[in-house]
Formats: sequence, structure tokens, C-alpha cells
Amino acid sequence: MERKKIFLGEEEIPRQWYNILADIKMNPPLGPDGKPVSPEMLAPVFPMNLIEQEVSSQRWIDIPEEVLRIYRIWRPSPLVRAFALEKALDTPAHIYFKYEGTSPPGSHKPNTAVPQAYYNKVFGIKRLVTETGAGQWGSALAFACAQFGLECKVYMVRVSFDQKPYRKVMMQTWGANCVPSPSTETKAGRDILAEHPDSPGSLGIAISEAVEAAVSDGSGRTRYSLGSVLNHVMLHQTVIGLEAKKQMEIAGEYPDVVIGCAGGGSNFAGLAFPFVYDKIHGRQVAIHPVEPTACPTLTKAPYVYDHGDTAGYTPLLPMHSLGHTFMPPPVHAGGLRYHGMAPTVSQLVVEGLLEPRSYGQMATFEAGMLIARAEGIIPAPETNHAIACVVDEARRAKEEGKAKVILFNWSGHGLIDLGSYEKYLSGSLRDFDYPAREIEEAGKILAKYPKPQILKSR
Amino acid sequence: MSPEPEAAAAAPLSRRCPRLGGPVTFGYCMGCEPGGPCLKVIDCWWETFDIIGYLQDHLPADQFQSLMGARPKPKIAALVELIEKIRKDGTI
Repeated sequence: MERKKIFLGEEEIPRQWYNILADIKMNPPLGPDGKPVSPEMLAPVFPMNLIEQEVSSQRWIDIPEEVLRIYRIWRPSPLVRAFALEKALDTPAHIYFKYEGTSPPGSHKPNTAVPQAYYNKVFGIKRLVTETGAGQWGSALAFACAQFGLECKVYMVRVSFDQKPYRKVMMQTWGANCVPSPSTETKAGRDILAEHPDSPGSLGIAISEAVEAAVSDGSGRTRYSLGSVLNHVMLHQTVIGLEAKKQMEIAGEYPDVVIGCAGGGSNFAGLAFPFVYDKIHGRQVAIHPVEPTACPTLTKAPYVYDHGDTAGYTPLLPMHSLGHTFMPPPVHAGGLRYHGMAPTVSQLVVEGLLEPRSYGQMATFEAGMLIARAEGIIPAPETNHAIACVVDEARRAKEEGKAKVILFNWSGHGLIDLGSYEKYLSGSLRDFDYPAREIEEAGKILAKYPKPQILKSR
Repeated sequence: MSPEPEAAAAAPLSRRCPRLGGPVTFGYCMGCEPGGPCLKVIDCWWETFDIIGYLQDHLPADQFQSLMGARPKPKIAALVELIEKIRKDGTI
């Protein structure tokens, strides 16, 4: 019988994360004054040891023993050969996925929640605060804080707090104090409640409350935690790809294609960056970040410095952006709705090391249904974007008659987001695209901003 | 496509909010932020009905223009802005 799952022993968990900043040059994020954002600007919300990681260019960074101890709860995660999907597609391709749904909260998020909790603890922080929408990140941080004996405060948007009792219970079970936002505990929350006592809350209000809770703690023992976009988050996630490389070696194969869904970039980066390292050093491998067709931040957008708001108050960041007038059409995979990609992922696209792909939401759900029925696991809606690309690549391999090796990141299970599947099954989703002409018009507003220098690392 | 969501009064329009990951009504989208509608109200509802026409009819001109140009902020930029705002507000 052919081997379906490839496991590593606990002693084989990588001992170091891979830092892509050692191998690429980056334009710095710019503040409102047009100057680079300094570490001190972030010090009120992050501990300096994490800020040091954020700006570090050291290639390999040791994973602390205490973090490895917690990783062992679910890591190494399995590498799975998708034989049933191969059969369903009648493809000669060999399809592998790295399954991150085995973590306690069910996604890749704890890969960074755990080290973030650790570094905060050694910095002397006693309490972490964050915001959460549906609760995926909040539950990952609650789990991590429980492991290190840190207090965890989660501001959960009121409407989700009322609708998603199981995420709330997960957080409470791990000892977190999960409160509905707006709350009476912050000025931001009280101001809202004074005017709108029945406010259902919003993600923006919850973020304001969490940041205020961190910044306003006079003891200096509270910090904020973020689960996406930033460099240190990408760094921590590389444990996924580093494990996968060992497992592919056991399988006796090396991927021709590496695929991950790319929202803020963290689960894509986690699998892909170690393979980007190989590619930089001469290995032939195609690497595809996948995003919704409806929000083509990588596939069609120019690479510029851009503000985050129409007034131009927020810092300028180098990124793929469609400009201030761009209105992305709706999609239903929450984790993929980002205006800007992680700066490191954007830079790798500029350098030609990544080839972005995009898919409409109908294609992603069709792929999700196909793999759920073949392999048995229901994917998170975000993961379906990667799977749509896998299906395309596998069909292309069949047309070409090539036994191509495809590896993708299965970032999480979809058992707490079945509402999206319900909408798909009831026929209430449909595809759309954004006209190229309108993208061009929307981008004209960016002409007045400075262009980042197009850096090439080699 | 209906000209505006009058039907919402009888049977509230609802959809999955891509930011929250759960179902919300159109009424939530129109009033969840302190300043009024969610920044994403247009891209979440344009395929269901003429949301732009509806907003044009129901919002002050400056608020409508602001919404037309709105979009989510990069997280690091939003964080720096928030820290500055909290300091300026005298919360700390």
C-alpha cells in the first residue's frame, strides 16, 4: 500500500526559522512624515524583542526551546499525499498538502501566536490583548497565552460574540477573558456605547479597544498581538515549509509547484519562503500565491508607495496597490480580504520569484467541494483558493502528460465557517471580475506619490 | 437587481461579512461604524442591488464621496495611526 501520510518525529521539528529578509532587499514602510517607521513607533504595542525580529536580517533565527515544547502539541504537522484528489482529477500529478488544521484552534495561526506569547513573556509582559472577528486569531492567542501563563484579553466584535458561541467558549476554556466590543473597559468603547448603547460593534472598534488597552496600561506590562502581515509573523510561520522540505525528502520528491492562499500572506509565506530560499539558490520551482480574482492586489496592481486612507494621514508603505478609489468586489473568504499584501511577499513578486494567481470565488468553492468529497476534510474557505490553483495545475499536468509534483498549504479546516459553504450550496454566490479599465482609472490617483525603488537582490 | 433594499424592511437582507466571518444584515453594514456605514458596504452589496444609487440618495454628499474612496488600511499603518490618535485623545 502506498504511503499517504508522512510524519516527522518530534525531535525533527526545525530548530530555526528562516528569515527571508536576509535574502531580499526591502523598501522601508514610511510614516506620515514620509520617513521610515522607526522601532520606537511600534514599541507601545509590541515588545522590543519582537520588534528586533521584525527588522532583523539574520537568515536563521533559533526557535526557543520553550516554543518547541509547545509546538510539540501538534507539530510536526502531517504531509499528506492526496491520492483521492489525484484519482478524482485523473491526473498524473503527485499532489501533497501540508495540513495545518491539526492545531488546537484548527489553523496555522498558533505557529506565530505561541512565539509571540513567549517573547512577550520573556520581555516581562503579563498580559496580551487583541481583537478578533469570528474568533480564529483570538482563539489561537488564547491557546498560546494559556501555555505560558499569560493573561489574554480578546475584544470580540459584539455581533460575532453573540453569533459564534463556540469560538468564545474555546477562548474562555483556554482562560482568556473574551468580552464583546464595544465594551465599557476602554474610552473608545465607552464613547461608542454612550452614543449607541446597542452598538453591534465592528472590527475597527475592536482594534481601537485592543490597542488602547495596550498603550494605556501605565504598568507597561500589557502589549498588543497581531496575527498577520508583519515580518516576524511570516518568520514564525516558516516552520511549516521547513518541515515540509524534510517530509518531501522522505517522500523522495521535490515540488515542481508550491501553492498557498495569500491574504495577509502568513500561511502562504510559511510554506513558500523556505522554497523561495531554494529558488534563490538555483532550484527550479514555481511558487504561486493565490488570491481572489475580485481583489487583484498582486495580479494586476502597480507596485508603489501608498497610504492606507484617502486623506493620506497614514504611513506610506511599499506594496501592490490599486489606489484610493479601488473598491474590491465581494468575496466570502474572510482571511483573504486585505488591501495590501505583506511587504515581503510583494517584494518577492517584484523580484520575479513568485508568480501570483487569482481565482473567482465559484472556482474556489468548486475546488473545496471536490477535495472535501475526495480527501474527506472540509477546508477553510481561504484554503479553497490554493486548492483551485492545485486543481488547475493538476489538469495542466494531465494535458501535458507530466507527473508534476504539486505541494500546497492546507491552512485550516472549515468546520467553524460552514456558513460560507451553506451560501455556496444554496446558490447565492456568483463570480465577478473587476474591469481592467477601472483598475487603471483607480490607480491614477497614486501618480502623485513617490515610487519605491525597484530593488533587485541579485 | 432591485433599485434599493426596500425589501430589507420586511425581510432583512443578510450576507456573510468577509471581515467578521459571520452573517450580518444590511442594516449592520449601514450603521456599524461610528461615522456610519462600513467601509466595505459598497463592495459587499453592489452585486445584490444598486448600492451606489442607494447611498447617493441616503447619505450626505461628503459622506458619500468619502465612502466611495474608502478602503481598508494596511495593518501596520493603522496601528501607528491608532497609537498617535490615542496619545492625542489624552487616553494616556
